[in-house]
Amino acid sequence: MVANEIFRLIFSGFIGTVGFTLLFRSNKKRVIISSLGGAMVCAVYVLSCHFFESELIQNLFPALAATVYAEIMARVTKAPATPILACSIIPLVPGGKLYYTTYYFVMGENELFRESLGALLSIAGGLAVGIILISAIVYEFNRFKFKQILDNE
Amino acid sequence: MQDNKIISESENNAGSEKVLSFALDLGKSMVQCGAEINRVEETVKRVCFAYGMSSTHVFSIISMIYATVIEKNGKTHTQMRRIYSYAPNFDRLEQLNSLSRKICKEVPDIEKAAQELKSLFVKKNPFRPTVCLGYIIAAMGFTVFFGGTLWDAVASAPIALVIYLMNAYIKSTGVNRLFYTALSSFVAGFLALTFVHYGFGENANMIMIGDIMLIIPGLMLVNSVREMLCGDIMSGLLRLLESVILSMAIACGFAVAIIIGEGIF
Repeated sequence: MVANEIFRLIFSGFIGTVGFTLLFRSNKKRVIISSLGGAMVCAVYVLSCHFFESELIQNLFPALAATVYAEIMARVTKAPATPILACSIIPLVPGGKLYYTTYYFVMGENELFRESLGALLSIAGGLAVGIILISAIVYEFNRFKFKQILDNE
Repeated sequence: MQDNKIISESENNAGSEKVLSFALDLGKSMVQCGAEINRVEETVKRVCFAYGMSSTHVFSIISMIYATVIEKNGKTHTQMRRIYSYAPNFDRLEQLNSLSRKICKEVPDIEKAAQELKSLFVKKNPFRPTVCLGYIIAAMGFTVFFGGTLWDAVASAPIALVIYLMNAYIKSTGVNRLFYTALSSFVAGFLALTFVHYGFGENANMIMIGDIMLIIPGLMLVNSVREMLCGDIMSGLLRLLESVILSMAIACGFAVAIIIGEGIF
């Protein structure tokens, strides 16, 4: 991809995420952090598109990155991770694919419908698996820590 | 003596009912703000545990939450809440989160806790400038993201404003959600085609996709898959179905707009 194109993707992803953090009524202190997460996700996506062919893997790595980023930022700013994650994953959320899939279905274009349905499922699956991998580790770690505190008391 | 005991027991019962009622109201508002189901269930459990219930059984899906608590003396109480409307509101979600944390730590009087929960829901003007700005910025950003030009982004801004106004003033009247979604996509699609026809913006497709991102439940789809993989299959399925049905409505709205637009222009 040309450098210009990459810059356009990352910058517009950043702007779009700023919009969505406001739309989701995030805490004002979190707007910049979440939006930088969005830009970072776009950058990781461009990178993983360069290395991998499969759409599932292409979306898996940005989701991993976003979840790690959200967990770290949640600890740094002492805020819950979910809002930061939900905002920074926004550029990859398959809104366009979902629309085109249903649009082809409504218009009766079966070939295109099947094609974009497959892509839609692998994108959503890749994102979900990426998020879960990290959050399951964090969850188990937290439970372990919590249990230790209980034991000490 | 006997009377006193009966009175104190019934007071205790009222207390447990209040705890359960408070916990469910808290859980309901969390679902409405867009929290994950397993987090909601955990919060309800923790609050009930903090107020001394010996065990709590919660089940929640996106349209309902119900719970049974068992007191230490073996008495059980059950309540449920029906959840009708929800919209992401992360600021309130954070406030609810810290409220539940504080309550589990300090265990204040239950009436006081309920009042604190109530104080988070002050009715405000339906028009929120920052959210409106968010709609406009997001539409412009995603128009460029999907390959539109700067002019396309400028053209998508007024459409985003229209979508926001419809959201703020029509959606809250309790109109049928599917009908409303189809209507707002029709309006957005038709406006985009009209703009391009009169030379404001270049690619109608790009303007449309930027505005579609505002109404399409893409995040909901990802969250539904995530919930199913986490084990909350019921609520994951409901969310998945809802996002598919809503996007059908959106696709129908845009399809009608495109067909009519092609006829006129």
